[in-house]
Amino acid sequence: MLGYLTARQAGVDDPLRLRRAESTRRVLSLKLNPDRDVDRIHGNGVNTIDIDAVEGRYMLSGGSDGVIVVYDLENYSGKLQYTCKAVCTVGRSSRYVHNFSVETVQWYPYDTGMFVSSSFDKTMKVWDTETLKPAEVFEFEGNVYSHHLSPIARKHSLIAVGTKDPKIQLCDLKSGSRIHVLQGHRAEILSVRWSPRYDHILATASADSKVKVWDVRRASGCLFTLDQHNGDKSKASSEAVNTAHNGRVNGLCFTGDGLYLLTTGTDDRMRLWNSATGENTLVNYGKVCNESRKRLQFTVSRGCSPEFVFVPCGSSVAVYALHTGELVTMLRGHYNNVDCCEFHPDNQELYSGGKDCNILAWVPDLRASDVEEESKSSNQAAADQSSVNPAFQDAWSSDED
Amino acid sequence: MELSQRDRLSELVEELTTSGQPQLNQYRMKEIKKICKVSNDCIEHVYHSVMSQLNQEHAEVRLSAFQIATELFSRSHHFRTLLVDNFQDFLELTVETDSEQPLPPPKEVARKLRSLAIQTVQSWQSSYGTAYKKLALGFHFLKQVKKVDFHDAEARTVAERRMEEERRRKMERIYKERVEAVSKDMEESYQEIGATLTEMESCMSLLFPGFDLTNIQPTNNTPPNSQPANESPSVDEQPCCSSDLQEDRREGMMQEKEGTRVEKKSNFEGKIGKEDKGMTEKNMNNTEATTGQEKKERDDKERRDGNEQQEEKKGKEDWEKRKREEEGSSEEEEGETLDQDLFIRNSGLMSHSYSLNLNLSPGLHVRETEDNEAVVSTVMDLHRLIITKHLPAVQNWVQVFTKSGAEQQLLMRALDLKRSLEAALHKHKELHIDYKTRVRKVMKASSDGDDDDDFDEVPEKEGYEPHIPEHLRAEYGLDPVPSTSTAPVTKEAPAEAPPRLSSRQLKRLAEEEQDPTCAAATLRRLTQNLALPAESSNSSGPSSSQKAVDAPVVPFGLDLYYWGQEQPNAGKIIKSASQHQFWVPIEVDEEVENKELLAESRSRYISFPGSFTPVSHYCSAPLDNGKLCQRQDRLKCPFHGRIIPRDQDGRACMKEDRLREEQEERRKREEQPDWRDAELMRDIEAATGEDLGSDRLGKKGKGKKKKYPNLSDLKQSTNTSRSRLEKKVLNKSAMRRVAEVMSKADRRKHDKFSNQFNYALN
Repeated sequence: MLGYLTARQAGVDDPLRLRRAESTRRVLSLKLNPDRDVDRIHGNGVNTIDIDAVEGRYMLSGGSDGVIVVYDLENYSGKLQYTCKAVCTVGRSSRYVHNFSVETVQWYPYDTGMFVSSSFDKTMKVWDTETLKPAEVFEFEGNVYSHHLSPIARKHSLIAVGTKDPKIQLCDLKSGSRIHVLQGHRAEILSVRWSPRYDHILATASADSKVKVWDVRRASGCLFTLDQHNGDKSKASSEAVNTAHNGRVNGLCFTGDGLYLLTTGTDDRMRLWNSATGENTLVNYGKVCNESRKRLQFTVSRGCSPEFVFVPCGSSVAVYALHTGELVTMLRGHYNNVDCCEFHPDNQELYSGGKDCNILAWVPDLRASDVEEESKSSNQAAADQSSVNPAFQDAWSSDED
Repeated sequence: MELSQRDRLSELVEELTTSGQPQLNQYRMKEIKKICKVSNDCIEHVYHSVMSQLNQEHAEVRLSAFQIATELFSRSHHFRTLLVDNFQDFLELTVETDSEQPLPPPKEVARKLRSLAIQTVQSWQSSYGTAYKKLALGFHFLKQVKKVDFHDAEARTVAERRMEEERRRKMERIYKERVEAVSKDMEESYQEIGATLTEMESCMSLLFPGFDLTNIQPTNNTPPNSQPANESPSVDEQPCCSSDLQEDRREGMMQEKEGTRVEKKSNFEGKIGKEDKGMTEKNMNNTEATTGQEKKERDDKERRDGNEQQEEKKGKEDWEKRKREEEGSSEEEEGETLDQDLFIRNSGLMSHSYSLNLNLSPGLHVRETEDNEAVVSTVMDLHRLIITKHLPAVQNWVQVFTKSGAEQQLLMRALDLKRSLEAALHKHKELHIDYKTRVRKVMKASSDGDDDDDFDEVPEKEGYEPHIPEHLRAEYGLDPVPSTSTAPVTKEAPAEAPPRLSSRQLKRLAEEEQDPTCAAATLRRLTQNLALPAESSNSSGPSSSQKAVDAPVVPFGLDLYYWGQEQPNAGKIIKSASQHQFWVPIEVDEEVENKELLAESRSRYISFPGSFTPVSHYCSAPLDNGKLCQRQDRLKCPFHGRIIPRDQDGRACMKEDRLREEQEERRKREEQPDWRDAELMRDIEAATGEDLGSDRLGKKGKGKKKKYPNLSDLKQSTNTSRSRLEKKVLNKSAMRRVAEVMSKADRRKHDKFSNQFNYALN
């Protein structure tokens, strides 16, 4: 660390280097921190969360009872202890609330004044954050599993929607209508994702165990279908041709630079694909428990030198090194299945929501400052700590000798 | 950490968790704590061993492991962090948060573990919740998601509570319905039961008017005096009732039986003709003074003797008679000396040393006679009605009312009913009514009524008739053959009454005797064989009818028809010529002589089944309990084989038999019977200190020792009769055998009928 700092001071290093090193360190020390809480608003499982890309300050969460909550993540109190307050809520009492489980929520990428939510009540609503009223409601024939707005698109404002119908719907926010349909899948679409690199590239994952990559400018068909065997016919049985997984594919995630695509399936596997060629990189992540019948929301760190994948795995969140497939750690804190997790790229924090109604904040747990430098003050601090927290002390009674 | 410490810790944890005790051993626990205090490594080691024990599929192990964890949790920070880090698993293993991983058996311990764990988590939360985030999260998870009510003593989750609630509501509804039904039922049958009780009561007071146990009947307060008017004479009759009753009373209240008998008779007489009876009684009293009475009394007793003599030892009886007579005859002596001649003339008794036989039975005793038959049968019916219908019904009501907590009033009513019914039953029991064997009512319903009518009209019945002429015996429903089994003393008495049977019963008996499958038939044969010689000696002359009985009756046949003559065309088959117009058979002999047929027509088959002789010998093979086998099989005992002559100790008399038996015994001893279970024997040996040879047996079986003897055995529940049977019936070889047999049967069928379409297919 000191080396990085001196190098930075001397101007030898790229500023990015220091940043990467520090964020990697922070990510590796992610812990469930007693200093950080998230208000317990949801009375039911949390299906989806999203952190706004503009400020990184507000977090949306959608619950399986239809409730949507906006949290303020920023700690302005100056104290270590902070509870993320709920700024506003679309509760059960609101007349605009979703009738059934909210499956996906997403901020409008350029402004927190608007967000989009989709639900099992077959609707997708575009909300005005200020009034908490839907500005637009799209209705579909089947349950909406997933939708996505392109995070970088400047030329279009399309929302890709995956429903129970095998056709992918493209809705235009400008006109407020469904303008396009992409056909090719044979079962419900569980997840859709725009590429963060090219604004016309869309990846979709379906229950027919296929993952297709589309260029929305081309109406005729998909660009390519991901194949787990990379086209090696000898390994693939006739049905397994062009499949990404041997089960339902329910999770999709591009890396921060958009060069790679991660997919998870109910065959308990996670695969890393080259998003340009559709080639399976054959990184072995081992078993990634996945029993969800719905969309699984997982995320990739940004700005670390080896990037990390955070993927819900049963009642914990598994952290893998992206390119080596090494399991770095398991973040255990939920008491029931975890459905979603979202990485805060600025603070290197992770938020995860699960069926136990909790949203947990995983905050870097940095080492206390070195004791050697100021032994006295640290002693003082230690004493303070012990006085604050007698629970951390051992309590062996003397009669046990 | 030293290796020895580590080993010691593992050992201690295992010992503690497999103790099966609900509480931890304090000394061991102290030792663990002492070691743990040394370093965090020890704590880690203990933590891991405790967790591995928590994973065991045994609630007792888990409970103990949980208790260790609780002890350490409150002591060590390090242990807390370790445990809280893995708090999900911990909760799963102790609180059953995952419904797919239920707590292991035994159930009670699991329940205890669960409630203890929930309470402990709550206390942990209150003391450490702020410091350990995951602990707080876990607590909230339990509270919010699993909705555990920490104040609930049972520590149930919401789902369980709801289920409980639903069940309760359902039960309530069911109970309500039941109570309604039952109260309706009670309303309906209340009257009936009341009537039954009243009827029973009055019947009993008829049978025994002085029955003063009415006070035990709380509800049905009918006093014995308030009987219907037409039955009141029985009470009035008492004073004029024959003096022997009073005498008996004087002699001792024990002889109530006698009293009741006479009283009953008087009862009955009072019904038919009170005045007549009074007259005759008076006359008798006047003319014959005590003699008539005495005779009557004696006859009475003798009649009973006929019934009872089989049971009583003769000598004793005689002695008793003497004694009794001396006691009783003090009053009669003057009369006797006066009217001795008269007495002899009247009774034909040459001696005064007639005997009295009084049965000193304690308590009440009512004997059924023809006189009180109607009443007794009513009582019997009522008794049966109460036993089979009313009492179960009332008990059921009481049960329903108490279970459902119905109104007090209803319950009280039901209880009252029950009490009075029971009182009636008790009273009935007190009466000790001797029932005669009875003809089933359904068969004789009409004749029964007739009988009753006859009963009232017959005038001869009014007084006691000591002498019944021979030609009238049948009319009186008496055996035409007087029983020979009367006591020798009474031989000179005029034909006295044999065991009294009603005409109905007689008819019934006769029917039964016709039936060769019935025991009565055998009995009749026996009695005939026995009775006939006696009869011949007793009666004036052998009647011709009796001879006819002796002669065999054979069915009429050709041989009898041609008895003593030549049969004209015996054994000839005559073929008639064809009557057909143009079909003519080839010429055959018109007559064919057949030897066999000829012989057949002349001969007669008479089967000699032999006469039935009852088996008089016993198997008398020695039994385990030291007795001899009492089976009376003719040739072969089903348990001990062929019946051979044995001495009184059960040993076989013949030498070869004895040898054979010994061999058998030896063989039996060699093959080990099932009950000689090695473990059982080992237990017995441990208890008695004697060597029963369990080691020998143990080597044969597997004899696997249980690893942890203190834990309750989970497999024990599987050792049921069903599972044992299953093991026998469904084992591989048995199944194979059955399958083989069945396929063989199939194959046979196939072989036979394979050319037929519908068999060929299967």
